[in-house]
Amino acid sequence: MNNLNCSGCGVGGGMSDVVLECVMPYIHDPRDRDAVSLVCRRWYELDAITRRHVTIALCYSTSPDRLQRRFKHLESLKMKGKPRAAMFFNLIPEDWGGFVTPWVNEIAESFNCLKSLHFRRMIVKDSDLELLASSRGRVLEVLKLDKCSGFSTDGLSHIGRSCRQLRTLFLEESGIAEKDGDWLHELATNNTVLQTLNFYMTDLTKVRLEDLELLAKNCRSLVSLKISDFELLELVGFFRSASAIEEFCGGSFNEPDQPGKYAAVIFPPKLCRLGLTYMEKNVMSIVFPFASLLKKLDLLYVLLGTEDHCVLVQRCPNLEVLETRNVIGDRGLEALAQSCKRLKRLRIERGADEQEMEDVDGRVSQRGLIALAQGCLEIEYIAVYVSDITNAALEHLGAYSKNLNDFRLVLLDQEHMITDLPLDNGVRALLSGCEKLQRFGLYLRPGGLSDVGLGYIGQYSRHVRWMILGSVGESDEGLLAFSTGCPSLQKLEMRACCFTESALARAALQLTSLRYLWVHGYRETSTGHRDLLTMVRPFWNIELIPSRKVPTVNNAGQNVFDDNPAHILAYYSLAGPRTDFPDTVKPLDPAKVVAA
Amino acid sequence: MSRATVELDFFGMSKENSSSSSKSKFLNRQRSFRDIQSAISKMNPELLKSVIASGSAASNKSTPDNGNQMSSNKSFSVPSTPKQELPPFPALPVYFPLPRLNLENPLETAPLTIFYNGTVAVFDVPQDKAENILKLAEKGISKTVVEPVADPRTDHQQKLLESLDGDLPIARRKSLQRFLEKRKERLALETPYASTPNTRFQGRKTMKNHYSFWAGLGLASKDEKDSLLN
Repeated sequence: MNNLNCSGCGVGGGMSDVVLECVMPYIHDPRDRDAVSLVCRRWYELDAITRRHVTIALCYSTSPDRLQRRFKHLESLKMKGKPRAAMFFNLIPEDWGGFVTPWVNEIAESFNCLKSLHFRRMIVKDSDLELLASSRGRVLEVLKLDKCSGFSTDGLSHIGRSCRQLRTLFLEESGIAEKDGDWLHELATNNTVLQTLNFYMTDLTKVRLEDLELLAKNCRSLVSLKISDFELLELVGFFRSASAIEEFCGGSFNEPDQPGKYAAVIFPPKLCRLGLTYMEKNVMSIVFPFASLLKKLDLLYVLLGTEDHCVLVQRCPNLEVLETRNVIGDRGLEALAQSCKRLKRLRIERGADEQEMEDVDGRVSQRGLIALAQGCLEIEYIAVYVSDITNAALEHLGAYSKNLNDFRLVLLDQEHMITDLPLDNGVRALLSGCEKLQRFGLYLRPGGLSDVGLGYIGQYSRHVRWMILGSVGESDEGLLAFSTGCPSLQKLEMRACCFTESALARAALQLTSLRYLWVHGYRETSTGHRDLLTMVRPFWNIELIPSRKVPTVNNAGQNVFDDNPAHILAYYSLAGPRTDFPDTVKPLDPAKVVAA
Repeated sequence: MSRATVELDFFGMSKENSSSSSKSKFLNRQRSFRDIQSAISKMNPELLKSVIASGSAASNKSTPDNGNQMSSNKSFSVPSTPKQELPPFPALPVYFPLPRLNLENPLETAPLTIFYNGTVAVFDVPQDKAENILKLAEKGISKTVVEPVADPRTDHQQKLLESLDGDLPIARRKSLQRFLEKRKERLALETPYASTPNTRFQGRKTMKNHYSFWAGLGLASKDEKDSLLN
C-alpha cells in the first residue's frame, strides 16, 4: 500500500507516505483538511486516519455509520441537532428531534479513540449516558451536553461514577430532570482531574455544599466553575480551597439587606472571569478589589441599573468580554468605550419590556454604538438589541471595527418612530468595511431595509458564512437580488419575512454555498406548499413544521394560545430523509404535494 | 418679498365637499387620517425634524388661509379651527405650485402649511425641501393605497399578509426569560417601599422577600431552595 507515486500528487512523483504522515497531524483547520482529502485517494485515506476532530453541523446530514466508516480514529466529535431557534421560547417543538441515541450506540461500539464529545441542542436520555459511561467512561475527558434535554440527574450519576478522567463536564442551559444531588457527589468522589464544571442556567437546586467543597479539595486543577443559584455566603469555604479557580459564575445573593456580610467572601486570587447572579448595587463593591484583573464579566443576571454599569466597567480596564442586558444603556456603552480598550466581545441582551422593571436609561441606540466603534477598536463580536438606530452608527462600525467577525443587531419593536430607516447605506458600509465578517444577523421591521438594501447584503457579504435575517426587504425582488450574491453563505435563517415560497425556493437554488435553510414566517402563497417544489433536488431534505397553536402566557398572566406560523427547514444530507419525525414535523413529499 | 404658497390637502377636502352624506364625510376623513398618519410615519424623521427646526427658526409668518399663525419661536403648532371653515383644496396628494415658483431662486423659502390631526403647522421651507416632503408623503400614501390592489388575493392570504406585517414578536431566549420571570416573582412577593425593619424576616430559610427597585430603595432576598421555575 505504500505508493510512492500516487496519481495527481504533482510533478516529480508523490511525497512519501512517511513525510505525509508527519505533516498531516499539524493540519487542523477543517477546511484545509477538506481540501487535503480531495487531492487523491491516498491523501483522503491519510486524512481519514489522522483527523482528530469533526464537527457535524446538523446531525441529520450524515449517519453514525458513515462517520464510523470514514473517521475510525476520531478523538473529538461535536454535533448539533435542533435548529438554533430552539433556544427561544415556543418556536421549535420540544420533541423535534436530534436524538443522540444512534450516535452513542455507534460510539460505544466503534470509536475507540474518542475522548471528547459535544452535543448541542440535542435530546439525550439517561440510557444514553449510562451506555456512554460504561463503554467509554475510562477514556472520556470532555463531555458537553450543551442546551440539551431529556435526561435526569440519574444519567449524570453514571457519568460521575465511571468517568474518572473527565476534565470537562459542561451542562449549561440544559433541561435536566432533578432527582437529587448525588451526581455531584459521585463526581467529587471519583475524580481528581476535573478542570471545568458547568451547570449554569440549569435548574439544579439539590446540589450539596459538602460535595462542592469535596470537589475543591480533590480536584486541585479546577479552573472554571459555573453553577446554578447557590447562596454566595455558603461558598466562602469553597473559595478558600479552590485556589486555582479563574472563572466563576452563578451563586446568589439572598441577604442583600446585609451587604456587610458579603465582605466575608474572599475570591480566589486568579479569578478573572466572573458572573454573580442577582448581584445588586450595594454588594457590587465586593468585586472592586480585583476588578482590574477581570477579563470577562457576565452581568446578564444581575440587578444593576445603568449608573451601576458605568461605575463597574470603569474599574475594568482589562475587560475583554462583557455580557449584559440593554440596561447598560448608551451611557454604559460610552463608559465602556472610554475604559475598556481591550474589549473583544460584547453581548447586549434584551431586558424586560415593562418600563418599570428596568432603568429608564436602559436603552441602547446609535449613540452607544458610535461610541463603542470609536473606543473599542479591537472588537470582534457584537450582539446587540437596540431601541433606535441610524445608518451613521453602522457606518461607524464599518469604518472603525476592522476586526469584527460576528455582528448581530436586533431592532426592538417598542419605539414606533426610528430615527433613520431604511438602513440600506449603513448595512452596505458595515459589510464592506468589516472585511473579516463571517457571521451576520439583522432583525429589523417593515421599512427597516429595502429591496436595494437586501441586495447590498448579497453584494457585500463576501466571507459571511452564517446569517439570520428578520423582517428585512420589501418583496421577492429583494430576496432574489440577495441570493445572487452571498458567495460563502452556508447557513441562512430567516424570520418574519414577506417573501413567497416561490422566491424562497429560487433563492435556495441560487445561493451557491447554501447547505442549511430555516425560515419562520413567510408568505404562504401556495396550497400544500406546492411552490417549494421548485427547490427539490438530490440530497436536499425539505421539512416543514406546519403552522400550529402554541400554549403560552400573555402579559396579563393568562394561559392563551399563540399562532405560530409554519417553519421551513431544508438541508443537504447524505443520509436521506429522517426516519424519526415527531407528529409536529413533516417531510415535504413531492408526490403527495403534487397529488393534492 | 412675495411668497409662493404650496397647498397640500391632507384631509381630502375636495372629496369631503363632493360627498353627499355626513357619514361618508366622516369615513373619508377617517381613511385620510390613517393615510396621513401612515404617510407621516413613513417620512424620514430627520427630514421632518430639520423642516420643523427651520420652520421654528423663521417664525411669525401669517398664512392667508386661516387666522392661525405661528405666534412665537417656541410653538410651531396651534389647534386649527373646524374643518368647514377652510376653503376647498385640490385632491390629495397634489403638489400645486403657483406659476411664479418655477422662476424664483430655489433657495428662497416659502410657507408650507400642514394640517394634521386637528393641528396646523406652518414651515418656511425652500422649494426642494417642500418637494421632498411631498414626494415622501406621496410615496407613503401610494404605498399604503396601491399595494393591496396590485396583487389580487384571497381573503385568507390577505389576512396572512396582515398578520405577517411585523406581527411575529421577537422571540426571547429561554434563559433570559426565566431570569426575568424569577426577578418579577422576587419583587412581586413583597409590597414596594416596604423597607422598614419590622416587615422583613431575617435568615435564608424563610419565604419572605423584599422589593427592590433598581434605584436601591429596598433589597430583595429569596430562599434559594424556592424553585420558581419549571
